[in-house]
Amino acid sequence: MSRVEWLFYHLCRLILALVFVYAGAVKIQDVVAFAGHVAAYQILPYAMNYLVAATLPYVEFLAGVLLLLNIRVRPALVAIGGMTLVFMVALVSVLLRGLDIDCGCFDPAGGEDVSAGIALLRDVGLMVLVGLTWVLRSRLTTRSAKCETRVEEGLKAR
Amino acid sequence: MTDNLKRILLEACVLIAFGALFGLTINNQLVLDAFAGRLIPQRPVGDMQEEPQEKVPLAYPMPILLDEVQQLMTEGGLLVDARSAELFEAAHIEGAISLPLVDLDDHMADFTRRIHKDQVIVTYCSGFGCPDSFDLGMRLIETGYSDVRVFEGGYPEWRDAGLAVAGEGQ
Repeated sequence: MSRVEWLFYHLCRLILALVFVYAGAVKIQDVVAFAGHVAAYQILPYAMNYLVAATLPYVEFLAGVLLLLNIRVRPALVAIGGMTLVFMVALVSVLLRGLDIDCGCFDPAGGEDVSAGIALLRDVGLMVLVGLTWVLRSRLTTRSAKCETRVEEGLKAR
Repeated sequence: MTDNLKRILLEACVLIAFGALFGLTINNQLVLDAFAGRLIPQRPVGDMQEEPQEKVPLAYPMPILLDEVQQLMTEGGLLVDARSAELFEAAHIEGAISLPLVDLDDHMADFTRRIHKDQVIVTYCSGFGCPDSFDLGMRLIETGYSDVRVFEGGYPEWRDAGLAVAGEGQ
């Protein structure tokens, strides 16, 4: 892996980490307001909106922290990719039904409204980042494994 | 599937389960209240001793679904339209009365004179994404109404369900 690839991996990882740590943290601040945003999607029964609002931000935050610390990167990427995929399905359903709602992706208590279309484009970008980080991380891991094998072979030869 | 991929998926499941469990532990009362259909008390923000001027509402109006609205109407509940007077005149849910959030100060005194504080009230506006019904519900609770709920689907959901509507445009 070249130095450019190494730098690009850490850049992608840190962008994803900061996005999800921020997204989780602001929702944790106001779970009830976030439940209102989930309800606006009109997908889940009433009480389930609160269940999602009570749990999802913590998963986002935890996955973001793992990426930030560069530990358990690929499990965190699977969780983030899975959540983003679910968000995308929900946003497509909003667009198909013609609902005019704020996506509730970040600060549920304030800030400017973000339409489902814009949020969907942003999620596509996040999925690209997830894919890039996964591939670069795999290359990094493969290279480390090869180095370890060579060291072991060298030690055995002595 | 390689063992490595299986391990990664397992660890991702553990991560999600741990995060969800942590969230449930912190917000267990909120979730229990939501599933039990109780009003959800707002957690005070900050120390009230230090900020006595900050007004903290006692409760949120309870969001309810279409079938619950119909049930409440048969039991004597009052539907209150939070939209503007023009929209109300054009079309509204049959049996609803108008209390526009934009002109609330002008109409509130008359409303409180006519409607008893124990009356079950259901507010609505222009559907999901319209905050007026929720804001009106908050104001009614602050005024002293004890049982205020919000029909978040509002006029569009009621109309689309083919239920009775009234107004000049009908």
